[in-house]
Amino acid sequence: MAGVGYVAATMKAPLGPASSPLRRRSGRALGWLAALTFLVPASADAAAKLRGRVDGFRNLVNPVWAEARDPKQHGYSFREPVATVRAEYRRLFPHAPKEICVAAFAVGAQKAQPPVLVRVGGGRTTPVTLVVPPGTRLTFQNTDPFKHRLHGVGISTFPPADTARGATREWSVPAPGVFEIRDELAPSLRMWVIAEPNVAAIAYPSMKGDFALSVEEPGEYTLQAFFAGKKVGPALPVTVKDADLDLTKSPLKLADEKAAAAADKAEAEKDKPAAAEPAKPEAGK
Amino acid sequence: MVLSRFWYVLLGLLFGASLFLLHIASSMYNRSGLRARAEGLSSDAQVVSWYLRDDARQRSAQLIPFALESDVGKYLQKANESEAKVPDDARGKLTQALTRVNAQIPKEAGFDSVFAVDQHGRVVAYIGYAQASGMEDFELGGYPVVADALHGYVRDDTLVLDRMYRIVARPVEYDLASMPAGAIVGARVIDDRFARELSQRTGAAVAFYANGQRSAAGSPAEFATANLDAIVGDLTDLEQDKDYHEKGRSSVREIGGMIAVQYTRLPGEAWQLGAGYAVARQPAVVSGPLGFFSHADDKDKKDAKLPLAILAAVVAAGIGILFSVLEHTRPLRVFKAEAERFAAGTVEQLTPSRFRGLFRKIAADVNDGVDKQLAKGGGPRRGPADFKEVLGDLPDQPMMSAFSLPGDALGEPSAPSGPSSPGSGGARSAPGRALPSPPGAKRPRPPAPGGGAASPPMPAAQLDTTMPEGGLSGWGTGAPDEADWQDVFRDFVATKQQCGESIEGFTYEKFAERLRKNRDSLVQRMGAKRVKFGVHVKDGKAALKANPIKE
Repeated sequence: MAGVGYVAATMKAPLGPASSPLRRRSGRALGWLAALTFLVPASADAAAKLRGRVDGFRNLVNPVWAEARDPKQHGYSFREPVATVRAEYRRLFPHAPKEICVAAFAVGAQKAQPPVLVRVGGGRTTPVTLVVPPGTRLTFQNTDPFKHRLHGVGISTFPPADTARGATREWSVPAPGVFEIRDELAPSLRMWVIAEPNVAAIAYPSMKGDFALSVEEPGEYTLQAFFAGKKVGPALPVTVKDADLDLTKSPLKLADEKAAAAADKAEAEKDKPAAAEPAKPEAGK
Repeated sequence: MVLSRFWYVLLGLLFGASLFLLHIASSMYNRSGLRARAEGLSSDAQVVSWYLRDDARQRSAQLIPFALESDVGKYLQKANESEAKVPDDARGKLTQALTRVNAQIPKEAGFDSVFAVDQHGRVVAYIGYAQASGMEDFELGGYPVVADALHGYVRDDTLVLDRMYRIVARPVEYDLASMPAGAIVGARVIDDRFARELSQRTGAAVAFYANGQRSAAGSPAEFATANLDAIVGDLTDLEQDKDYHEKGRSSVREIGGMIAVQYTRLPGEAWQLGAGYAVARQPAVVSGPLGFFSHADDKDKKDAKLPLAILAAVVAAGIGILFSVLEHTRPLRVFKAEAERFAAGTVEQLTPSRFRGLFRKIAADVNDGVDKQLAKGGGPRRGPADFKEVLGDLPDQPMMSAFSLPGDALGEPSAPSGPSSPGSGGARSAPGRALPSPPGAKRPRPPAPGGGAASPPMPAAQLDTTMPEGGLSGWGTGAPDEADWQDVFRDFVATKQQCGESIEGFTYEKFAERLRKNRDSLVQRMGAKRVKFGVHVKDGKAALKANPIKE
């Protein structure tokens, strides 16, 4: 089986934080570890690349941010749109390189993969959504200058525990299923781990939606995008042979534009009364 | 004493009423204070909330110069183009741009930290956040406030990171046809300086808390900031407060009787983390009627009309003293003076009409008592010696004819001479007190020695037979104290007649001889220079008393 590739199309391998010399060395070691044992396919020469593209991911809405904009959540005392920013960009679509995971599923079960580095910082994890075979060990590294207290929601093997600045914490995905990781000290931090026995490779699209998957063995695969712990868009069956495969002409359509526009309209209607209350002319615009 | 007693009752009632009123006043004051304190705390909490919102808005406006700075947009866009790594020149140029713009912002409107974040959420450059020094992969893109800014919104937030921060963020636009190039994020640390500034502008005593700890506090000068530390012990129970849990603002809570507090959750992520601020006021509660004194300040005391209170006290005391003097001291002194006069013999009896009230009754009782004692013969005598006491029991007649006429003993039984012992009282009289007259008879004047016109019913011839010739004028031995014996004899004879005793055979010679004998005996026994005799009635009979005089 091919190794699980945690590689965004134009994204480097997830290196550890490299601020202080010690942390830099630690990050490099983890980076090398990841690069040597995880990110690079076991037999690179035999691996085939699947180039593809996801479409419509800007019609998705990050659930954390969407929840935070709800006035009932008391997430702010004022929140106002800047008129010069086009409406299509005001949609709280996810940051694809971190939040949308494209996975290639083989026909048969895959073995557990080497440790996957997950960076914790900036109010989220990187990646936010991860698809791995059960038994895969995850290494959470705190890249913030303050501590985090990660825990798995309803996961007895992942209780709340402090992770200091630069420190790491490990956890093995116990079984197939969807697992949510949260931080008691940062409500916006939510991560989803999807454990699927048949996952053969994963990739993260670029800001433009391009991605590249490396599968080790030729055969029948199914491409599926995941976002916020859920499947998004239709699955795409592909047959991999020895040669690379270009799938950009048949992109994975993750969300419908019309549905998103309707949701935006509904959201705008819902926001109107709330926005009217703190109305204050914005200076300089 | 009526006025004094009325005054005492009145003062007592006034005191009781004052105490009652003070209790009512303290209760009303406390209740009113409680209500005012609750309203004040709600007002403080609201004002602080408004201040935080307004402060965030004002500071968000200060982000505009950053967003409009050309280098900021330019180098954020450049950083966006490299998903793998932020170009070093972009970091440098952006840091310079941030520093340049930040220098133009008034200090009071500025930020503690400013971050420039690209579309990937990476912090391309920052100022004022040394904690992230050397962290090239430092990012903020996951926070909703930054995500909102990257998607075209201006908003605020409160983040609890290594410390608590008030955050404002806005988008940075480089190409209006594209997604914002990034976001500019301003952060203000919620520390004691922030809290003091807030307190100065709102007048509220405020403390910020997060993770069960007080993180910052500020209060007006009259409020001890250290008192705000007390909220730490109360935070554990705060989640039980229904209002706080549901509405984000607690009811007024009193901590240890020291301060009253109202808690409010902070907007933003801090809301979900249980972080917030508490406004506090010191309770103005009086513990009792005397509690007003401890709570009154100089202005209160100045407004209390102390001169009026002193005047009222002086007037009340004066009236009480006046009543006391009029109804107690003065009558007592009058009575004392009268008693002294009575004791000195200046007056024969107390004059009740000169007294009032109880003293009049006392005077009358004293007079009655004296009269009754005299009527009974009196008690032990301290004054002149009783004649019989000195002389012993004397037979009324015949050997002692000086005290009875010889014929008396024959015609009637010998009457007892009355008790002669000191205990039973001999002839006694109070000093200055007039001798009582025999019952049923007015004391007549004794017969004149010359047998002149005398009222006694006795025939003059009979008297003449007992009198020496030439009357009594030549009686006596010529001794100084015998000069009065003739008068004594006349009084004695007259008294005997009034008492119905016979004076037959009762001559002056015998009378004088007996007096002389007794005088000599008294002079010898008592060391008196002379003896003066007097007449009185005892047990219905005439009797003599001897008064030894030592001068």
